[in-house]
Amino acid sequence: MAPLQKRALYSFVIGLVLTIALVAVLVTRGSVTAYESDLSLRLIMYAVLIGVPLVYLVLVYLTFRKPTQIDERDRIIIERSSRAQWLAVIFTLVAWTIALTEIYSDQGQVPIAFLNLILWSTLIISALAQSLGILVGYWEMNRNG
Amino acid sequence: MGRIKNQIRRLRFDHGEMTQEELANRAGCTRQTIIALEQNRYVPSIELAFRIARAFGVPLEEVFQYEDS
Repeated sequence: MAPLQKRALYSFVIGLVLTIALVAVLVTRGSVTAYESDLSLRLIMYAVLIGVPLVYLVLVYLTFRKPTQIDERDRIIIERSSRAQWLAVIFTLVAWTIALTEIYSDQGQVPIAFLNLILWSTLIISALAQSLGILVGYWEMNRNG
Repeated sequence: MGRIKNQIRRLRFDHGEMTQEELANRAGCTRQTIIALEQNRYVPSIELAFRIARAFGVPLEEVFQYEDS
């Protein structure tokens, strides 16, 4: 397994675990409505929001540390994976827009907590999609060349 | 379209069973790329092709050949 492929797999698993943990925290703490009144919930979310990019940066640093860890073939795969990342982000935003419009159109306003949720979900989906895109890229390249 | 073939596996053998890792280090790429090249599942850039040829100390044409299909 290529070094970048390993990191992508770790990132994907870590991202998935963090996503499940976030959803679990939201559900156990009383969903999105509790967000505005629950300071500890907000602090957990902020910690995750800061922690995820830090973990991501550490993984990227470890991957690019040695010149032989990544080469032109890996760079092609990274470039291809950004297409999957871009599509995933667009679809996430479209899903949020449609869902929030349909749910809150009668009230004419959306709870402020959703601003954070949209940001987190987009960041998480973006990271997951890039990792998945890299893994699929290796699979495709090994299959088709 | 043609097809690019290579003699990397044979050249490694001719160079005292040079390991894939050693060739990767000399050519400045990953071992996985050498594996992909040997299995004809990847066509390298011209720069990497030259670096591989240089690692073996042979002309480019001795490593890579273009075949008309």
